[in-house]
Amino acid sequence: MADFSAQSYRQPFPFLDIDPTMESLTQFAELNPQSFILDNSAFNFQTFFPLSINDSLFSNQASQGETMSGFIHNSNQSSVSAQPIFSAKTEMEEISNKRKALDISESSSGNSSSTSPQVSETGIKRRNNSGRGKRAKSNEKEMEKPKEVVHVRARRGQATDSHSLAERVRRGKINERLRCLQDIVPGCYKTMGMALMLDEIINYVQSLQNQVEFLSMKLTAASTYYDFNSESDAMERMLREKAEEAKELERLMREGYVGIGGVACFHSSSTYGPL
Amino acid sequence: MNNPHHLNPTSLKSRFTTRFLRALTKIRAQKPISSSSPTEIFRRYRRIKVAADKSMAYSVRSRRIWSRAMLWKLRSRSYRRQDPCSGRRSGKTNQAIMKKSSNENTTTRREDGVGFVEEADELRQLVPGGETMNLCNLLDETAHYIKCLTTQLFSPIGKG
Repeated sequence: MADFSAQSYRQPFPFLDIDPTMESLTQFAELNPQSFILDNSAFNFQTFFPLSINDSLFSNQASQGETMSGFIHNSNQSSVSAQPIFSAKTEMEEISNKRKALDISESSSGNSSSTSPQVSETGIKRRNNSGRGKRAKSNEKEMEKPKEVVHVRARRGQATDSHSLAERVRRGKINERLRCLQDIVPGCYKTMGMALMLDEIINYVQSLQNQVEFLSMKLTAASTYYDFNSESDAMERMLREKAEEAKELERLMREGYVGIGGVACFHSSSTYGPL
Repeated sequence: MNNPHHLNPTSLKSRFTTRFLRALTKIRAQKPISSSSPTEIFRRYRRIKVAADKSMAYSVRSRRIWSRAMLWKLRSRSYRRQDPCSGRRSGKTNQAIMKKSSNENTTTRREDGVGFVEEADELRQLVPGGETMNLCNLLDETAHYIKCLTTQLFSPIGKG
């Protein structure tokens, strides 16, 4: 769970400096905090994105959660060459692990067929319905770092200043990590709320540490006992046997003979134990 | 597979097991226990526990903050025991850094803006090296730490 999302954002986005009309449009859009989607009647993004994004996306399943939905902007100009499309494609491929590309392909396919105001409405609706819309915002914030013109897609009624953006990013990361922990720690449910989850995690870690201590005490006791009975290498033999037994068990389990095979193996190994 | 008795020879579990076994045999070879006095037993218990922690930390090396913190703790403790002066000399910079960061954290109450400060502090005490982490990294390290603890417990060395 390293943050290589930060690394991926340092990639340049050369295709964003397309034309001056685009810039004016984006400036207008930035003034308007509500969602927008530019018309892409000239572009056939849908043919490119399914090819490039979806397989790289699905191969890199990750809990990164950063999105790039606002990344795509579609140009009105039909004179824009195909070159930006290709660089867009490569940019997409570089920025892997973005789950929101599904939304992108959806939105781009939706865009190409409708006019501009309708598109913006559906865009807003789609953004608000996806329940991950706020991540789109945070993603744009990261992408503003390369100082290209990036479209900021804010949810309705959400602040767009840098502090709250950073806060949102942080909270998103923390939620993601808590979700991972929830899978690991038994008895942890998202419905319990974060404070309770943290309490559960604390209890679990404490119990694991206590178990480790207790078992090392058991090892000490075993070794003292064996020492006492002056079987000096009995401990190693015992440990080695246990290790072999455990490995046998695992091998059998892997081969699929869990129930009876494991038990049979145990019996056989114990009968020919050297002690 | 040419060796059916081993899982992945480079997995965390096998690394830990081999190291821990080696440490245990060393401990047993060192000191055939003469008396069964409680202090002796306790000393051996401490040694075994330290061996478990050490082999775990060495299996993870410096990839994780908690393993680095644990290794540093173990090293400073062993230096201090051997030679009080050398401990002060070598561990000084590290100690200064750790002290400074922990002081900063205790004085600036880590209000991460998410509102789980008490639980987060408790978690920080549990996970080695947790005092110097922000909440995000702390959760990360906790997950890895839990994974390593369970590896320890379920390793083939009669521990699980």
